[in-house]
Parts: sequence; C-alpha cells; structure tokens
Amino acid sequence: MEKMDVKTMFTIPVFGGINVSESVVVTWIIMAAMILFAIVMTRGLRVNKISKRQAFLEWMVTKLDGMVGGMLGGHAKVFGEYLITMLLFIGLANIVGIFGFKSPTKDLNVTIALALMSIVLVEAAGIYFLGIKRHLHKFIEPTPVVLPINILEVVTKPLSLCMRLFGNVIGAFVIMALLEFVVPIGIPMVFSLYFDFFDGLLQAYVFVFLTGLYLTEAVE
Amino acid sequence: MLEIGWNLLFTVINLVILFIAMKIFLFKPVRKIIAKRQEEADSLRNEAEAMKAEAKKTKAEYEKALAKTKDEREDILTTARHMADEEAEKILADAREEAKEIREAAEDEGERRKERIIAEAGKEIADMVAGATAKAMGDTDDAALYDAFLDKVEGKA
Repeated sequence: MEKMDVKTMFTIPVFGGINVSESVVVTWIIMAAMILFAIVMTRGLRVNKISKRQAFLEWMVTKLDGMVGGMLGGHAKVFGEYLITMLLFIGLANIVGIFGFKSPTKDLNVTIALALMSIVLVEAAGIYFLGIKRHLHKFIEPTPVVLPINILEVVTKPLSLCMRLFGNVIGAFVIMALLEFVVPIGIPMVFSLYFDFFDGLLQAYVFVFLTGLYLTEAVE
Repeated sequence: MLEIGWNLLFTVINLVILFIAMKIFLFKPVRKIIAKRQEEADSLRNEAEAMKAEAKKTKAEYEKALAKTKDEREDILTTARHMADEEAEKILADAREEAKEIREAAEDEGERRKERIIAEAGKEIADMVAGATAKAMGDTDDAALYDAFLDKVEGKA
C-alpha cells in the first residue's frame, strides 16, 4: 500500500530540511483552481443584463449563503464566508482523487489543521462576542459538575472533527483500493461514486455543519 | 506513515490564504454587485412610489377642478336659463305691446280711411249729381228737346 503514504514532494533546505508533502502541493493546486475560478467568474460583473456566467455565480453564492446561514445563528453569521470556503475546500479535497491527485484530507496534517482552525475560531468567537468572563463561565453551565466534561470537549471537538474526516477519507480510499484489487472493472466505478463523491461531499458538509454548530453555541 | 509537523503549519497558512483570497476574489465582488443591484432596485422603487403619489395628487387635483368646473357650469347654465327666461318674457311682453299698438294704429287708420272713403264717396256722388244736374240743365234748348223727342218717337215708330 505504497499509495497510502504521504510522499514528500520536495525539501526546503532550511532548518536542516523541511519536507513539503504531497498534500500541501495538492492543496496549492486546489487553492489555485478555486482562486482562478473565482477570478474568472467575477470578471465583468454587471448590475443589469447579467451573463449566464454571472447568473450562475450569483446563484451559487446565494445558495451557499443560504446553506451555511441555516447552520449559523446570531452573531455567528459573520463566519458564513469562512465556512463556505472550508466547505468548498474540503469538498474539492475529498473528490480531487478522481482527477488522479492524492486527496489532501488523506493526510492527517491537513485534517488536524482544519480542526485546529475550527476550534481556535470557536474559542476566539466565544471570547470576542461574550467576553472572557462569560466565555469561561460557560464551562460551568448549567452546573459546575459538567466542568471536566466541558474542558474535555475543547479537545474532543476538534479531535472528532479531524478524525472523522481523516477516517472517512482514508477508509473510503482503502475500500476502493481493495475493490479495485478484487474487481478491476465496472464495480469500482459505482462504489467510487458513493465513496468519493457522496461521502466526500457529505463529510465536507458534516465538518462545516459541526463547526457552525460549535460557533453558534459559543457565541450564544 | 504519519508525520505531523511542518506540513500542518503549511496547511494552516494555505487555508488562511485561501480564505482571504476567496473573500477578495469571490465574495466581495459578488456581494458588491448584489448590493448595488439592490440599491438600484430600491431607488427605482422609491422613484416609482414617489411618482405614484405624485400621480395620485395630480389626479385628486384634477378631479377637484373637474367638480368645480361642473358646479360652475351648472351655475352658469342656471343663470343663463334664468336670463333667457327673463329675456323671452320681456320680448314677449314687448311684442305683445307692439302688436297692441299696431293693432290700435291699424284700427285708427282703418277708421280714418273709412271716413275718408265715405267722405270721398259723398263728394263724388254730389259731383255726379251736380254734373248730371248741370248736364240736364245745360241742354235745355228746344232743338235738342225736339231732337230728343223726335228720336224717341221715331225710335218707337
């Protein structure tokens, strides 16, 4: 299972050599694609007599807004754009395997980074919108008995986010690899539709949904 | 197989950059254009609203003016009718007066003429009588009498 390894693409010759992994490079490719898409789509936007391209773009942004807006409540609405970005990135990262790249989400570094960002954002939002005192007080609500559980949650929330995403992607990859080994033709395609597309997009949605839930909870 | 380290940091940096880039290149322009359109639609609606109010005002004014005109017309018509009636009455009275005068004048005239005619006739009759008398008196010679007598006789014989 050589394919499961995260290869090092190149090494930056500082600090005794920093290995830049394949996942980071694929992330760059996805970023480039997303930014290029955004730049191309937002060219020559007009108020009236819009092109089909613009209509699609506006439809897409409005739909994503609605989708993410439904997950967020109150002050957390300001994180909509961040969540949309994460949704698009994780979704693309999960299905990029179709195009012959290695999914970045198959690298634990990436999912840990995503989960860390989420939990930092959640805690920061709680402190920003409620104040440090009120934020800390939330740990002993409704009774002080739940304090250890709440402290534990600060760790388990990102851990579950990270491991769920990583486990799903790597699991899907392993199953697909096994299937391709057993039945090389036909069947893998059908399963790929499920594991790569459906599960990939679903996991992106779940990740973003839970982050939105935590954010809403934190700012209330 | 799993090496946690620099690549985690790289990913965090990547994602932050991606978020900022998406904000600048995707969300900002789209939201700007949607807001602009909303603004335009709002201003258009406000304009339409103002125009509607204006039209309503103008319509009310016109209706008021129309009602006023109608009243005025009614007044004028009533006055005119009144005046016409009076005028007609006056004309009729005048006409009656005049007719009476004419009739009286005519009656006088007729009377006068009758008298004149009678007078004239009387005069003429007198003249004729006088003439006849003169004639009768003028031819009083014997020869003529004879002749006349003879004529009568011969005529009878």
